[in-house]
Order: sequence, then structure tokens, then C-alpha cells
Amino acid sequence: MSAPPTSRQRILDRVRLATHALADPGYNSETAYAALPCTFIVRGQLTADARIHLMIERLREYGAEVVECSPEDVAASIAAQLAASGKHTFAAPPGLAAEWLAGGFNWKVDDGLRIEEIEAVEGVVTAAFCGVADSGTIALHHSLTEGRRVLTLLPDWHLCILRASQVVETLPEYFERCQVPPNLVTWISGPSATADIEMTRIKGVHGPRFLHVILVRDPV
Amino acid sequence: MRASLFITCYNDTLFPETGRAVVRLLEHLGVEIDFRPQQTCCGQMHANTGFRGEAYSQAKRFVRLYQDAETVVIPSSSCVAMIRDQYPGLFEELGNETLRKELAALLPRVFELSEFLVDRLGVEDVGASFPHRVVYHASCHGLRALDLGDRPYRLLAKVRGLSLSPLANTDRCCGFGGTFSVKNAEVSSAMLGVKLQDIVETGAEYCTALDNSCLMHLGGAMHRQYAGMKTIHLAEILASTDASSAEALA
Amino acid sequence: MSQTAAAHPQLDPLLALPFPQAALPVLRNPQLRKNVAHAIDVIQAKRGKLVEEKTDWQQLRQAASAIRAHALDNLAYYLEQFETRCSAAGGTVHWAGDAAEARQIVLNLLREENATEVIKIKTMTSAEIQLNPSLEAAGISVFETDLAELILQLGNDEPSHIVVPALHVNRSQVREIFARRMGLENLSDDPEALTAAARTYLRQKFLTVPTAIGGANFLIAETGSVAVVESEGNGRMCLTLPRTLITLAGIEKVLPRFQNLEVMLQVLARSATGERMNPYTSLWTGVTPGDGPQRFHVVLLDNQRSSILSRPIERQTLKCIRCAACMNACPVYRQTGGHAYGSVYPGPIGAILTPQLMRMQHSQSLPYASSLCGACYEVCPVKINIPEVLIDLRAQVTDQERGRFNRFLDPMYLGMKIANFLFASAWRFRAAQRLGRIGLWFFTAGDGWIHSLPGIGAKWTQTRDLRGLPSQTFRNWWAARTPVGVELKRQAK
Repeated sequence: MSAPPTSRQRILDRVRLATHALADPGYNSETAYAALPCTFIVRGQLTADARIHLMIERLREYGAEVVECSPEDVAASIAAQLAASGKHTFAAPPGLAAEWLAGGFNWKVDDGLRIEEIEAVEGVVTAAFCGVADSGTIALHHSLTEGRRVLTLLPDWHLCILRASQVVETLPEYFERCQVPPNLVTWISGPSATADIEMTRIKGVHGPRFLHVILVRDPV
Repeated sequence: MRASLFITCYNDTLFPETGRAVVRLLEHLGVEIDFRPQQTCCGQMHANTGFRGEAYSQAKRFVRLYQDAETVVIPSSSCVAMIRDQYPGLFEELGNETLRKELAALLPRVFELSEFLVDRLGVEDVGASFPHRVVYHASCHGLRALDLGDRPYRLLAKVRGLSLSPLANTDRCCGFGGTFSVKNAEVSSAMLGVKLQDIVETGAEYCTALDNSCLMHLGGAMHRQYAGMKTIHLAEILASTDASSAEALA
Repeated sequence: MSQTAAAHPQLDPLLALPFPQAALPVLRNPQLRKNVAHAIDVIQAKRGKLVEEKTDWQQLRQAASAIRAHALDNLAYYLEQFETRCSAAGGTVHWAGDAAEARQIVLNLLREENATEVIKIKTMTSAEIQLNPSLEAAGISVFETDLAELILQLGNDEPSHIVVPALHVNRSQVREIFARRMGLENLSDDPEALTAAARTYLRQKFLTVPTAIGGANFLIAETGSVAVVESEGNGRMCLTLPRTLITLAGIEKVLPRFQNLEVMLQVLARSATGERMNPYTSLWTGVTPGDGPQRFHVVLLDNQRSSILSRPIERQTLKCIRCAACMNACPVYRQTGGHAYGSVYPGPIGAILTPQLMRMQHSQSLPYASSLCGACYEVCPVKINIPEVLIDLRAQVTDQERGRFNRFLDPMYLGMKIANFLFASAWRFRAAQRLGRIGLWFFTAGDGWIHSLPGIGAKWTQTRDLRGLPSQTFRNWWAARTPVGVELKRQAK
């Protein structure tokens, strides 16, 4: 006697019964997927300059501080931001460029930091994968230069280095940039916020309250 | 141009002056009107309350009755929405191939009044005169189901002496909703209160619409509250001339 | 400190009052109505601006609707693909046929962990299966970490909106709750201070509780990934800090491909909170060594979804992405708020989803809690024709009534049957018009209006007058003005 059907089997059977009954004969799901409407905007229309300008504008709209710098001045710009923050202890992802770890600060490179250690730092510096100008979104794929997820979650202050060549205009263009779907993503489009109390927007419930972006004007 | 008038069950019984105005208006525009006395109801009330089989029998009756009509004109956007949006589904489920064909052939010939005037007759200035301050209520079926757009406003703009007051929150439902007004009377009344506030705030003398159902609901509350504003169907404004003013004023 | 999660009689469809009655206390509460209207107006204004700015909004809706419909048309295929990919990435996928089974699966997983506490990200699905009370009953403390859910949990209250669940609670009410439950006597009612209090209170939980339960906005079949969309960051906390993560998701949440998020994220944020993009969206795939929970479980929930899937008109209900735009646009919801719907899913989507989740055995008043104005359909980012489903559900409720022996005692049912009988013949209709005029004459006052009617008519006249029936119907006027001969000739043609 065979085993009674598992929940999995029963659910899939019910689902198949439901969908097959209403499907046309000769229906092919691949053809159907290929035929899905795609008339929304995919490609952006802005020039590179206008795109960067929009990215900066959107970032500032949600309270991020943005400074631009040329590719030669990244390290100096980072040092300046760190100095201006008034903070001393910073975490850094293990793959972050060594010259970005400005002198005069207490660096905690994440080669297996404990949670308590990350909780104790005052800020974190990372790179990013992509920026989407339309919504001011920064995409972190948590590579070695971006750090594991907790690194950009616990500290109260996050400095993100975003290159102009990483900025796209539309969200569909970001997906084009992802040649393979990433395993881990955090899309950031503002500091943590809640409007749960009388619809009053309060920033910084959990997650960094302060986001600073250095936009590197590399060739796009 | 011949038009068969479907007066609707509730206009026939409660607002005959709207029907009279439609006749006066269309005949003035050179339309030959006929009225088929076998007509009763489009079935909307039954369909929307869940009585689908009953609605279908009324729908069948409608389609059979107007099979040979050149056009059918209806001074009620919710009834037109019923015919256009729900008849196909009813006939698909409960009808047969012949009836479905009859329906498909009839649908392009069914018009709500403002559609008939603007699209079919191609007129916006019907020669009307109505020197009063008026606010227009865009009933939900006309607004969303029929997508009437600016047709009513274009017609109102050509009425001599008429001053149209802008209305806040034009796309908010008045709360009538057919049997909803009775099954959920308290919620309906709460929605009515909110809508009435916007309407009365305009200070207009008349509130007009393309549906007497909404106007019955709004007007009923206006009368109860001594609001000093009256309701009038758009047809009656359009049929109002210097010579013969709308019956509502009489 | 354990917080007792009360059972939710107000939002339990098995116990809830019919909508017209449930709405009454809210209609009589001006403060509550003001809170609801204020919250709605804020979101609607923001949404309106962004929709106007998004020149391809209708094309996005079209695409979003098509993607969701396609996923549902091929649900078994995509669910199996999700399971395979998620498992390959180190996750464990469980299947729950109904709410009871889902609760049991979660309980078993927590027992395996020897968990005495869990932190939770807001998930409507967990409320749907009434998870919290069953965990509490098993001696496990549940800590809601979403600010609104925290307010409701500490205040022993229930959600009234899908996206802004505590919108019916104002700041002084929140202050009172926090002061009492967190022991903060000098807490002010400034939203900043209240939020800071919540942040401090929850931080310790995030850093110490090893097991988290959350939901999913989307399941990606192609990769076996899960996406969670949020604003506060409590999601990110629960998704990265604990050792074990349990994700509870309805089977309808699946999207075919990662790329589909390019459409879904654009419509979701604008619809839900009136933003181009919400602050934080997280996507993860199974288990990633060294980053986040090393034990990951997905509990896929059916609970009537496969049944809804089988009905051609109702299937579109499952396209829902829980944005709540429908209730923000709904003029009925604006007056009644969420509790009146007697379900964790309120508003227009709740009116069609809840009765179906209840197998049409409960919440039968919900399909009627609508004036069919269509505002919901107009704003729905995945184009669910809610009025169409409402009407079909009304037909199902009526068909149930047809089978009852005492149906003619229901004045509405009786009235509808009589009306249908009258509409079937012009002669009967004319006779009814005559009788109606005669009957209503008794109720018509000197001013020509009816101010009070008995029985079901009283429902009209409690707030509205009714103009007395005119002495001549339209058809009689027409018959009188048209010579008989002309009419007969015309009919003969």
C-alpha cells in the first residue's frame, strides 16, 4: 500500500486541476511568458550628466548627504567625510580598497567581526553595485567591497561610494545590469522611516539614520 | 435618425419629467423617437444584488425587444453600464449562440444620452437656456464604466446663462449604490453626508447628473435637510429653452 | 517580558458581526473617522502626484497584471521551480494545506529550535492563520517588531489597514500604550519620541532573539529567492541577525523571474505608500554562508487559494500584491475603517478575499459592503476587477439563500422575486406602478414628499425624503400623446 499523499502532493494536484481546467488546449507557458506585454519605459532618456544630477537630487530629497569628487580624489574625499562626521570607529568590508581606509580613524575590517563589535562601531564605509536615478535607489549586492548585510544595518552612519558609471536612470536598466540574478540584494531608497503614528514621517527607526554618498565622477 | 427610448424602470415611475425632457430635446434635434411599451427593466438591480438568473431573463427581454432598433437611447448611465459590461457575461453563461449574436449586434447601437448627443448626433450646443448656477455630479458608472469624460461638461458649457460651479472630489461616490442604499443604509448615509458637504459648499442652485438614481439619493437628503438646493437631470437642463423652461422650475 | 497576544474576535470571520452592524460603532466615532480620513488623504495625495509623474503608469499596470496572471496560470510549475531552487540554495520548503497545518509546521520548527521567543516581521499571512495566539498558547513569546504591529500588540488592539495597520490610533493613544507597557512615565506624545522609545525597546530583541518569523512580498521561482519590501528596517533586522528564519507565504506570491521585480517594485511602492521606492527592499536566496540566518525555512500556504484559483472570475483575487491602494481609494472604507470588515484583510480586497478564504460559509455580508463605484479597480496596480468579483460573490451568496426554506421571510429576497415577476410583463409592471402610486399616497405628505416609510423602506427614509410618485408615469404620458392609430402602425412595422 502506497503512502498517503503528502500536503505537497495534494496542494500541487489541486493547483494543477484548477489551472488545467481553465487553460486553452495547446497552451504553452514559455510562449505565454514571452508574449507578456512590455510597453512600459525600459530605456532612460536622460544624458549622462542629467542622470547623475537626478540621482543626486533624489538622494538629497530623502535626506542623504551627497558630495561629488573626481576619480583621483576618492580617498581624500572619504577622509574629509569621515573627519566631518565627528566619529572615530568605522567598519569596512574586507574587500574595500586599502587606500580608502583613511588614517587617523579606528578601523574594524570585517573579517569575521562579532555582532557586538559591529554594534559598537559608529559608522561604516562601503562601495555599491548600482544606483537608480529615478528613485534615488542604491543597490547593494553584498560583495566583498559592499560587505555582508549586517554591516550596513547596525551602524548609525553609512558612507557609500557610488561611481557615476554605476548609475542608471530606470529600474529596468538596473535589472539589465544584473547579468545573473544576485543571491543577496538590499535596495536602499531612503533612511529607515515610518509613518505609522498619525502618518507623520519619522526617520531612522532601525537601520542607519545617516546616509552619505560620495559620487565619483568617473567616465560613464 | 431614429432612436428608441429606453426610459428605465425608475425614471418611468419616479421621474417621468426626465423622459419628457429627453423626448422634447431629441425631437427638437430632429430625431424620430419611438417608445416600445413592452419595456420594463434592464436587470441591473437584480444582477448587482446577486439574482443572476432573474437579471438574465430581464436582459433577454431587453435584447429581443430592441433587436431591430436603429439606436437605443437611455437617460441613465448605470443602466447602459449594466448592458455593456454585464450582459455579455450573463449571455455567455446562461444564453445560447443566437442570443449572443443578437446582443453583440445590439451593443454598438445602445447609447447613454450624452454619448448619443455628442458622439452620434455630433452636437454640443442643443440650443438650451438655463440661467442658473449648477453643479455637475459625475456618477460612478458614467465616470468609470462608460468613461464619459468631458461629454457632459461640453454639453453644459453650451447652455446659455448656465454657470457651472466646480465641485471638489468629483470622483467620490455619493453612496447610493442601488440596493446598497438600503442594505448598508448607515454607511450609505455617511457617504452621502460627505458628498453633500462638497456639493452644498458650491453654493449652486441646482445639482445635476446623468443618473436620477444618484439624484434621488442626493435630492432626498437635500430636501430632508432644507439644503436649499434642488436636483435636476441633465436632460431637463438641455431641454430647457427660453420658451419652455424646465418643468422642475414650475 | 512576554506580551500576551489576545485572540482577535473582532477580526475573526467566524465571530465578526455582519458589516452593516460592525460599521455602526465606527460611524458614530468622529475621532476614528477623522484618523482614517487623514491617513487616507496623505497617501492618496502622494500616490496621485507620483502616478501623474509616471508617464508609463498604465503600461506598468498592464504588465504587472499580466505577470501576476501568468504566474497564476502556471502556478504549479513555478511553485515547483521555486522549491527546487530554494532547496538547492540551502532553504527548506514546507507545504501547508490549511491554517491549522501551517501553525503546526511553524510550531514544530520552533520546537526543533527549542525557541522560547520569536521576533516577527509584519505578515498578514500570519494574522490570517492566527499564528500568534497558537504560539503563545505553546509557551512561546512573540515580539512584533513592526512599529504599528508593536502598537497594536502592546495595546491589545487589531489592525485596521493592510499597510498602515495602526492608522486608527492617534499619538496620545500611542503614548499611553508605550508609557504603560514600556514603563516610560515621562514619555511625550511627540512621534519622534515615541519612535525612539520603540527603537530602544526593540534593539535588544533584534540582537538577542535567535529565531524570526516573517512573510514574503514575492517569491522568485527562477532563483528560489524571497523579497521583502519595508520602510522601517525591522525587516532587515529580522532577516539578517537571527540564526533561524521562517518565512510564511501564500502560494500565490510567486513571480516567474527576478526581472519581474522591475515592474512589481515600481507599482507597489507608488500604490502602497505613495513613494517612488520604499526605503528598504531585501532579497535573499536560501542560505548564504557567513551572512544572515543559517537555517532558513519557507512555509508555503494554500488555505483555499487553490480553490479560488479554480474559479474563472474569482481567480484574479490572487493577483493581489497587498498594496492597499484599493482601500485608500474606497469611499466605503473611508467611512468605516478596517475593523468593520471583521477580517485581517479589510477594504475592497478583503471584501472579496475573506469570504472566499472562508469557503463562502462566513463573511457573506462583505461582498455587499460596496456601492460598486469602481474606484478600487481604477487604482489597483494589478488590475483586479474587484466590482466584477463582488457581483459574482453576491450571486453565490444569493444562490445559497435560494436553498433555504425560510428565504421568503427575508424582505430583500421576497422583494427581488416579486420585482422580477413584475418586470417580466409590461402589463404587470404597469399594474404595479398603479398599485405603488396608490399605496405610497398614504405616506405622501402635503408637500408632495414622503418622509417616513415602514419596513425596509425605513432604511431609506431614516436619512432621506422620497418624492411622492407622480400622478402620470412616462409611459402613460407617451400613450396619451401618441394617437393610437399611429402607435399601432409603428408597432406593426
